[in-house]
Amino acid sequence: MQTSEAPPVPQSMDEKKKEVRSPIWVKLRPIYPFIVILAIWQVAAMQAQGNQGRLFPTVDAIVYRAWELVTGPLFRALAENPNLGLFDQIWKLGESPILLHTLNTAWRLPFSFFIAAIVGTVVGILMGRFAFWESFFVPLLSVLLPIPAIAWTPIVVIWSGIGDQTVIVITAFASFLPIAMAVWTGVKTVNPVWIRAAQSMNADKMTIFRTVVLPGSLPMILSGMRIGLARAWRAGVGAEAFAGIRWGLSAGIFDAQEYLDIAFMMVALGILGLFGFVLEKVLFQPIESRTVIRWGMMEAMGAQDKKV
Amino acid sequence: MVTKISIQNLRKIYDTPERRVHALEGVNLNIEDGEFICLVGLSGCGKTTLLNMLAGFVEITAGTITMDGKTLTQDYDKGVVFQEYALFPWRTARQNVEYGLEIRNVPEEERKRISLDFLRLVRLEEFADFFPHNLSGGMRQRVAVARAMAFDPQILLMDEPFGALDAQTREELQALTVDVWQKTKKTILYVTHNLSEAVYLGNRIVVFVPNPGRIREIVKVDLPRPRDDLAPEFIKLQRHVNDLIRDF
Ligand SMILES: Nc1ncnc2c1ncn2[C@@H]1O[C@H](COP(=O)(O)OP(=O)(O)O)[C@@H](O)[C@H]1O
Ligand SMILES: [Mg+2]
Repeated sequence: MQTSEAPPVPQSMDEKKKEVRSPIWVKLRPIYPFIVILAIWQVAAMQAQGNQGRLFPTVDAIVYRAWELVTGPLFRALAENPNLGLFDQIWKLGESPILLHTLNTAWRLPFSFFIAAIVGTVVGILMGRFAFWESFFVPLLSVLLPIPAIAWTPIVVIWSGIGDQTVIVITAFASFLPIAMAVWTGVKTVNPVWIRAAQSMNADKMTIFRTVVLPGSLPMILSGMRIGLARAWRAGVGAEAFAGIRWGLSAGIFDAQEYLDIAFMMVALGILGLFGFVLEKVLFQPIESRTVIRWGMMEAMGAQDKKV
Repeated sequence: MVTKISIQNLRKIYDTPERRVHALEGVNLNIEDGEFICLVGLSGCGKTTLLNMLAGFVEITAGTITMDGKTLTQDYDKGVVFQEYALFPWRTARQNVEYGLEIRNVPEEERKRISLDFLRLVRLEEFADFFPHNLSGGMRQRVAVARAMAFDPQILLMDEPFGALDAQTREELQALTVDVWQKTKKTILYVTHNLSEAVYLGNRIVVFVPNPGRIREIVKVDLPRPRDDLAPEFIKLQRHVNDLIRDF
């Protein structure tokens, strides 16, 4: 038989071609607004130098400060003892405050997020599968969701003291809520015709759940994880500052406020921004392009997802 | 001839909070093994309902359905092709066709062989590794036919499977369906509201009328295959069925 339909070109091939062809300046285009802003900043800061030097540092001053923050302890140690061993050098590098702040945020945040992702997924699945848990959790989550998680900080501080645990509890809680809601919605709204198709082939309930409901609700689950991560980020950064802990990027920012160290704040803010960007690029985009995008499942819920 | 499915005094009433729908009343039908049965009728006369009861998707209000002499249970093997695209988007064409075989724990090698056989049957073997969203509507429904047949079900239930396709693709798939049916000798129940399609495909055409949904007449189609939809006998039969579904 002759097929009148032209065999469609898979989209992935299209995309690959485009990638190969796009020249370097196309790829760098998103960077140029930053360059413009930095240039304006630099000019403005140079104008203001006379009276406000430290309060409005120039870009080069910020870059220099960043370098100093990272390498300060190492160079001071080298000045005292020029024959420092390699391991000691690395050790000294690790003592730089900005690195300590960064590392503290860098483990606490993903750790809290993963706890939230696991608990949120389990609760969401329970809600989606069992009417009992649905009627139990839906009212709770609906009431809790609109409360900014950061507002819980004083209570959690009183209960669990000042320290990592407080920040982790608040961060995980903040991101757990939207994840549980999204997983629940995803599981509930899986296209029923897929389930009927599996039923007609006599798949049992567990198999249908594993092979149809889970992959079928993946777009919703991933979009919930995204919102969860954004929430974790906001709550975690806030909690760091309000829980009064010592190490953490935003804790550092609030410390720096007392010394009017604008350059430090700018560097820390830059790192915070970079974090979100990297998490998006290394975590979500690869997962999505290998699953829901490859399967063409984003079109179905695309508009909805983009708004979030 | 062996009776495959026997339907007696079947009734279906949908009770919803808003209204009560008498979808089917007094349906009696015997279907022989290997028969190609078309169900036709205006929209809302219970064709889908009957198919869904056969598939076990909706409950029977009254009456009985037996298969091979035994009361129908939910867990017999039936291949279903839906009007909507029902392929799993996260599986390639071949993995979709393999689904029913996986449920039956068929070993991987054999699964692969069988699924490729069926993709060849619907002339899609070169698209085996494509994901559904990279296939056209007609191709998707061909994969759906292959998936519904590959695990060797007892019957094949098709609910306006090609209704969303353009006329030309639709005709190709009708010819393909007859071809698949002749090769596999499965019992097929095929719902359509396209009368030309019904006359082209069926051994018998079951004509439904609505309010409540019931069988008006069962029309036997004795035309030799492959059927020519422009032959006078073909058109005469089509006109007869057309009169049946409208004037009652
Ligand atoms: N799940 C349902 N709940 C309530 N009424 C239904 C349901 N499914 C179908 N019906 C009603 O039953 C009647 C027959 O529907 P259906 O079997 O889909 O007809 P057909 O497939 O012939 O168009 C229609 O009036 C329809 O509105
Ligand atoms: Mg219908």
